[in-house]
Amino acid sequence: MSRAVVIVIGLLMGCSLLLVYSQQRTRILFMEKNRFESQERKLNQEWSRLEYEQRELSKSSRIVEMAKKQLHMNEAKQDKTVYLKVN
Amino acid sequence: MRTTSSNPPSSIVLRLPMWRSRVVLFMMFAGFCALIGRAFWIQGPGNDFYIAKGEKVINRSHEIVAVRGKILDRNGAIIATSLEAKTIIAYPSAIPKELSKEKFVNFARLLKMSEQDLQKKLSDSRSQIFLRRLIEPDVAKAIKELDIPGISIVNEPRRYYPEGESMAHVIGFTNVEGKGQEGMELSNEATLIGKNGQRKVIQDRLGRFVEDRGDFQAPRNGMDLQLSIDSKIQALAYKEIKEAVALHKAKAGGAVVLDSVTGEILALANWPSYDPNNRAGMSGDQLRNRVLTDTFEPGSTMKPITIALAMEKGIVSANTQMQIGHLQIGKKVITDTHTYGTLSVAQIIQKSSNIGTSRIALQMSAEDMWGMFQSVGFGQAPKIGFPGAVAGIVRPHEKWGKLDQATMSFGYGVSTSLYQLARSYTIFATDGELVPLSMIKVNTPPVGTRILSPKVAIEVRSMLEMVTQEGGTATKAKVAGYRVGGKTGTAHKSNGKSGYASNRYDAFFVGVAPISAPRIVVAIVVDQPTAGSHYGGEVAAPVFAAITNGALRVLNVAPDSALKDLVKTPEMMQQVSMQR
Repeated sequence: MSRAVVIVIGLLMGCSLLLVYSQQRTRILFMEKNRFESQERKLNQEWSRLEYEQRELSKSSRIVEMAKKQLHMNEAKQDKTVYLKVN
Repeated sequence: MRTTSSNPPSSIVLRLPMWRSRVVLFMMFAGFCALIGRAFWIQGPGNDFYIAKGEKVINRSHEIVAVRGKILDRNGAIIATSLEAKTIIAYPSAIPKELSKEKFVNFARLLKMSEQDLQKKLSDSRSQIFLRRLIEPDVAKAIKELDIPGISIVNEPRRYYPEGESMAHVIGFTNVEGKGQEGMELSNEATLIGKNGQRKVIQDRLGRFVEDRGDFQAPRNGMDLQLSIDSKIQALAYKEIKEAVALHKAKAGGAVVLDSVTGEILALANWPSYDPNNRAGMSGDQLRNRVLTDTFEPGSTMKPITIALAMEKGIVSANTQMQIGHLQIGKKVITDTHTYGTLSVAQIIQKSSNIGTSRIALQMSAEDMWGMFQSVGFGQAPKIGFPGAVAGIVRPHEKWGKLDQATMSFGYGVSTSLYQLARSYTIFATDGELVPLSMIKVNTPPVGTRILSPKVAIEVRSMLEMVTQEGGTATKAKVAGYRVGGKTGTAHKSNGKSGYASNRYDAFFVGVAPISAPRIVVAIVVDQPTAGSHYGGEVAAPVFAAITNGALRVLNVAPDSALKDLVKTPEMMQQVSMQR
């Protein structure tokens, strides 16, 4: 009888410690998850910023201006365009 | 006399009164009782209070900010996006009084404020003050490096518009709270705006979130909005209209480019404009989306519509010869810029004869003309979901006299917006159907409303082409490689009372291209040109040519004019290169 009590008490102690451990583990994982989430948000922001920057750099008005001023290019006139017929 | 010795005998025991120990015992007992009672109270009935206190310390309600949807052009290029920006908040009571002069000067400089202004703001009695909202991250970083106690930097989303002023009127802008205030940002608020989420969390001693307390509401980000606008055509239209306004020293200008097949608005440009990224010092004049909110009398651009109706009714055909001569209605004489004897109906359009158009109009009933104006959308508010789009005015036909009927046939006494005028010309581009327009990208072409028979629409379209050919009023609208057609308009501006200003004009051109298989309708207005000519054919037609040329190239539309010698097969190209 007393042996059974000892085993039960032992199990109870074990379970209690496991409960504490799992609680601790949950919190650590939760924090990690939060960290990743905030990292995801930051990376998304960074991605949006890069997309915006790419758009700023590639907008046609900027390219046309640079082509004209820096590279001294002209828009292709119709009389200088050769149209190909692809059948 | 009894004497007492200084050393009492050892047999004598000091006996304290019993009650004293009882009192002490009782007090200890009472103390323990009080403790037990208190413990019972804390654990039992009074527990909620302490739980609430405890939770207040560890529980945090955390808002998860939803991101506003992006606005994209028809090809998926970003034209409005939200990026995180920094907001500087000051807690005046926490800012030390002995802040170094150098730090303070730097701080004011970074905030773009004068030192006096900053001092005044910081001496405010409020506990928290927004010093600057939505500033660039670099500036915020520099402020952080100053390390001033009582200054906090928080993240807030800010809207950015990479196309700047060329697309300002289409997109509009948001306020500091991120709510749409103008343009598509306002009219599509429900789509673009997200819903912030919320979560309740337990926070540890170091301020880290360690546990969710349930009640999690996920944020719902706003949806992206894909417009029908093509940013390349838009940039081109804006550049051309801006240059035309400068060249002719005009007051303002507007341009619309429509895809006549799908009804999509490819470009909608206005000048003057503003930069939606920096709206400091912006005036109401810059803010106005003239294409949609300003009405004007369309002048001669109305003639093809009047004549199309007459042809549809079988009153005239393209080749009917009309005596032009002199026309007087009551006391009013209708005039033309030149004197004509006889003109065919097609020539009336080509030469833009007011008298010829009036003579045709007077053969129709006022009700029919009114019906036609209504059915092409004049006098009706556009169903385009754009804030401030106006209906224009077409008076009820019961109130028209003969003179009204004549002047309306060539576009006086009726008012429309440039947008409505452009839309009405879709009937010539689509073989007679009026197409519903859209600012949002369309996947399946909409069903139009039939206004004209295909035969009449095609005939009027070839009359419009004659306008751009030799002998027409708009030879400057020609586009090399493409057959184009359109109609000029030069309207006297109203003088604000009952008459017209003799020296103030609006110059228009509305055209269709390419004529063989129309793809676009382009409408141009230049408001009050003062340098050189004021005629639509001189002022607006060249803008049409430049925009049409660029737009057709962007849309990959094959040339349809007599450029056969330029069209080569791959074999011919090979021969050319071999000869070289």
